[in-house]
Amino acid sequence: MIVGISLMLWAGWHNLRQRRIAMQLAEANHVVLTPAQPGSSAQGDDAEAEDPGAKLRGKTAPAFTLATLDGKKVSLADYKGRPVLVNFWATWCAPCKIEMPWFEELRKQYAGQGFEILGLTADADAGNDVIAKTAQKIGVTYPILLATDKIEDAYGGIDYLPMSFYVDRNGKVVEATGGLSSKDEIEANIKKTIASGATTAMKGGE
Amino acid sequence: MVAGLMLGAGSLLNAGVLTAQMGNLNGNSEKPKSYVIYDAEPQIVPAGKRSVVEMRFRVVDGFHVNSHTPKSELLIPTKVDLQPVAGVKAETAEYPAGMAYSFSFSPKNKLDVYAGDFTVKLPVVAKAGQHEIDGTLRYQACDHAACYPPRSLPIQVVFTAK
Repeated sequence: MIVGISLMLWAGWHNLRQRRIAMQLAEANHVVLTPAQPGSSAQGDDAEAEDPGAKLRGKTAPAFTLATLDGKKVSLADYKGRPVLVNFWATWCAPCKIEMPWFEELRKQYAGQGFEILGLTADADAGNDVIAKTAQKIGVTYPILLATDKIEDAYGGIDYLPMSFYVDRNGKVVEATGGLSSKDEIEANIKKTIASGATTAMKGGE
Repeated sequence: MVAGLMLGAGSLLNAGVLTAQMGNLNGNSEKPKSYVIYDAEPQIVPAGKRSVVEMRFRVVDGFHVNSHTPKSELLIPTKVDLQPVAGVKAETAEYPAGMAYSFSFSPKNKLDVYAGDFTVKLPVVAKAGQHEIDGTLRYQACDHAACYPPRSLPIQVVFTAK
């Protein structure tokens, strides 16, 4: 009986001690591990990235001059006066390859209104052959440009793909989306982009 | 009751260690993000006999990574690269099968992915003693709608052969 009670008391004390050690370790880890800045965990990053276009929406789209796969230079300014979808993608990005055939269809559908798409490849290091083969396999015929870090930074960092910026004929970002959207949503954004600036350059697109 | 308390303490400790790994990774890079966590628990294997060392990983909730055998050659497979180490003869790593996954708006387009926990097995024949194999896990993560650039997670496989 006495032995039993002693054993229980010892077990209780032992467990309490273990628990305290564990608590201390967890606490210590917690202190060391507090992120230096908000949004530095995967989850935080996700939350931060919920509206990646917030900074650019309503602003002038950052200008760029980039190389095509065959070495020609193409500038966003070349499309002044036309509604343009600037879409960042990569060869390894599965959802990009889901929406790109939709882009191709919608480009044809709205070509009459001057609508154009520029596909900016975020993995230029994949090599022109791989990029060209991928674009061909997807069935893309719109211009594919090799994005640079500088341009990605100008468009908010492009932390994930796909990312799309809908630029109206006055060069203003009407809408920006991150991640895969539905085809209907993409078409609605294209319509909004075509309508924006059609009558006056100063009218908001929201 | 006693077992329950002990388990509770153990879970708490594990949670701390997991957070530690994420935190350290986050602290070391300019754009600190990691979508896969490595569970670096030391293991014991018999010395001089073919045995298996497990590399246990966890994909952060809400994300998935391509399996070792994704369904397109353009997708980046999850792959462990280990450096050779004296006293350990390692065979080719064995990867688990992936699970089917499709993005919204395109349910027919099936991908082969890892989500949650996954374990890569490394058959080894090791001399007696403690061994540390350095390496990296290369992976490319996505969530329900977007994909993140490929990453390399440094790992150290620690085990003792007795």
